[in-house]
Amino acid sequence: MKVEITQFQLDALREIGNIGSGNAATALSTLLQRRIDMSVPKVWAIPFEQIADIIGHLDTPQATIYVKVEGEAPGKAVFYFPVESAEVVVQALLGTDKPMDVYTDEMAQSALKEVGNILVSSFLIALTQFSGIPLQPSVPALAVDMIGASLDAIFLEEGMLEDTVLFIDTQLTGIPKIEGKFIFLPDDGSLEKLLGAMGL
Amino acid sequence: MNGVISVGMADYKTARSPEILLTAGLGSCIGICIHDPFLKVGGMAHIMLPTATGSLGGNPAKYADTALELLLQEIASMGTNKSRLRAKIAGGAQMFSFPGRPQVLKIGDRNAEAVAQELKKHGITLLVSDVGGSFGRTIHFDVGTGELRIRTINHGEKVV
Repeated sequence: MKVEITQFQLDALREIGNIGSGNAATALSTLLQRRIDMSVPKVWAIPFEQIADIIGHLDTPQATIYVKVEGEAPGKAVFYFPVESAEVVVQALLGTDKPMDVYTDEMAQSALKEVGNILVSSFLIALTQFSGIPLQPSVPALAVDMIGASLDAIFLEEGMLEDTVLFIDTQLTGIPKIEGKFIFLPDDGSLEKLLGAMGL
Repeated sequence: MNGVISVGMADYKTARSPEILLTAGLGSCIGICIHDPFLKVGGMAHIMLPTATGSLGGNPAKYADTALELLLQEIASMGTNKSRLRAKIAGGAQMFSFPGRPQVLKIGDRNAEAVAQELKKHGITLLVSDVGGSFGRTIHFDVGTGELRIRTINHGEKVV
């Protein structure tokens, strides 16, 4: 179903994105013991077919962490970052300078899932704070592959396609640079519920 | 790149030799490639879901049944003979799995089945079906030779 989102609602979602990425930056700083800054995110509500306009090349390799969101306003939450960022994160987390193969190394993948889980939760907490609606993340799943392939599999999983995808662009930058993007895909009715609970 | 026509998600395009059709980052989606080896023309569709029936709506190029219909109409308008058309398909992967959760209906498999069925319905020979697995695919289709190049990140590259 198509959900019309007003500019005012988008602004509010951007503010939530801000707080979410702030939470994420704090969590990641603590975890990696290094300074991570966030930049003000951009927010889009767009039809899925148009995501290439935002993410660029659909076959760029990215580490994509996918979490199902359960609770009163269920949906799907995704965080993805470039493979180079993923390698840096894994090295920092495991305290090693050794090159890590995030495609095949199980230890690296499990570290990535954990980081992704923390980042996704940071955004979900922000959504919950604003709406008062509790949202619980599932166990995370990971794919290190072409970003378009990972996202189409997530969005089409149930054989349905919402027309509107909520895209929160987050630049997490640290030393060295780590960047990533958060996506929230509300199930049918969830976005109205969240916006309604926030009085929007 | 010169002569490369990019096909987006829920999109379809036709081409004439020596043009190449490209679609990038297929996950559970399917790239349907069709060509007429005699006229050296063809087309590609990037479908997302099996069928447009039911409550689903929107862009008809999203669905296997309606997208193929549209693609075949456009290919027919290039003067092709339906009996000469050959098809190759790729995609239909299962990118994620959650431990302990049964995968009831894998959308990639359902897409692959639907596409094969629709091609059969139209009487078009399916020469190659490179579907399934748990990895993404980027495909280049040469409508002149019918060669399909399938590139992956970590599972090699091949021409079929």
